[in-house]
Amino acid sequence: MRAPLLLLLALAGPVLADDSCGTALDPRTRQVIGAPTLQLAYVPQPAPLASGRHFGLDIVVCPRPGTPLPVALQVDADMPAHRHGMNYRATVRTLGDGRYRAEGLLLHMPGRWRLLFDVSADGRLQRLVHEVDVP
Amino acid sequence: MRRWRVAALLALPLGVAAAGLSDDERQRVLSHGPWPPAPVLDAGNAVAGRADAVALGQRLFFDPRLSGDGRLACASCHAPALAFADGRARSQGREPLDRNAPSLWNAVHERWLGWDGAADSLWSQALRPLTDPRELASGPQALRRWLGDDEDLACRWRQVFGTPAADDGALLVQAAKALGAFTGSLVSGPTPFDRFRDALARGDRRAAARYPAPALRGLQLFVGRGRCALCHAGPRFSNGEFADIGAGFFVRPGQVDPGRHGGILALQRSGHTLLSPHADAPGDAAIKTRHVQLQHRNFGEFKVPGLRNVALTAPYLHDGQVATLAGMVQHYSELDLDRLHADGERILQPLQLTRREAADLLAFLQTLTDPGARRWQPGVLPRCR
Repeated sequence: MRAPLLLLLALAGPVLADDSCGTALDPRTRQVIGAPTLQLAYVPQPAPLASGRHFGLDIVVCPRPGTPLPVALQVDADMPAHRHGMNYRATVRTLGDGRYRAEGLLLHMPGRWRLLFDVSADGRLQRLVHEVDVP
Repeated sequence: MRRWRVAALLALPLGVAAAGLSDDERQRVLSHGPWPPAPVLDAGNAVAGRADAVALGQRLFFDPRLSGDGRLACASCHAPALAFADGRARSQGREPLDRNAPSLWNAVHERWLGWDGAADSLWSQALRPLTDPRELASGPQALRRWLGDDEDLACRWRQVFGTPAADDGALLVQAAKALGAFTGSLVSGPTPFDRFRDALARGDRRAAARYPAPALRGLQLFVGRGRCALCHAGPRFSNGEFADIGAGFFVRPGQVDPGRHGGILALQRSGHTLLSPHADAPGDAAIKTRHVQLQHRNFGEFKVPGLRNVALTAPYLHDGQVATLAGMVQHYSELDLDRLHADGERILQPLQLTRREAADLLAFLQTLTDPGARRWQPGVLPRCR
């Protein structure tokens, strides 16, 4: 029997700077998103985000105590106001210990984008969404 | 006291005090420069940037012996006097072609080449017209014959590549890389817009005030209500991607041009991308090729062209269906939303410009012309020794 999937939407801004997820990431550009069973921290490479430039994301997923590490992570982005996503498909490498590297993203217009993180863990799929304003 | 007051006035943000721009408009205007940007080289092309390769590419570019029958040169469709385009709606090769010849100015700064972006480097783009039977219809035999007959060409080839490649495909790639080196050298110079933009950047009110008032109003429309800069972004006035703007895409009755959709398919089929063994250490330049994704909405999308020298490159769009720049402004003013793809992005709205606004937008676009682009002449090449 397939594990039930639960889609959670976590719309969150940057969490307080004292958050403990991804503290090894560059604190100047680190963003942290919270969800019921995990936190996700990321930094863009290169930073800051700019339109029309390929970039990657260094990502750390921190499960809440008692929950397992994710088994998969997918990254995407869209621009709801314009009703389009990216023209590129990001790839994600698993680096171990909840660390990931996403590559191949490009936000091709200035404006408000959503970074979409689909985290599969413990038989559930959670979508974490982070809105970013791209100059 | 009075002197202090004058100094304070001069220190006001230039955009507000002099040019009539809000701070937001000023920031948007500044994003279209500086120009020229930092130099870049044709990706995956080990000879790009080398003077001897540029010279060899120039020789190949202007000489009709490059074509199979000696009738056409690259310059036949990319003429310097016509901003390296040809002034035709659709180009004329050995037979009528389906698309407009894009200008080669600043092509080295483009992410994708061709109206459909089927090539990811200048050299891989050059291979297509070089070998297309409807265009130059060249081949290794023609190249080898020419190299045997022309000591100057053979000397240049040796200097750039060593001996001509024994493998036919590799020989064509060498020619394409020399062409890529040459076309990559075509970066246009500053324009009246750049002088205004740079004056804004350094706070030179007097120099900024020289920018014509109609062009300034047109620029405000461009970065403001017109939202043109969403796609025509950055110093090149293009985001380097593809868009559906409600243009017709019938090549002829019953046949459509698939645009970007076909371009991505062609890229994926190509054996000469930045992911191929023919590419010389492309590094991060190959990220785009590795990650580009085919989507249904790509059907009928065409490249967002850069707008530098746009006033010199009529007619417009992928098949030259709009004869004049004023016609392009009118297209966006009266845009027919029913012509946009139902599943496409929602960015465009008819601008409904007044006659004066249309004239202002046109006046702004005309300030994107580099006066030197009209006068470009190929460099005189001393005999190769």
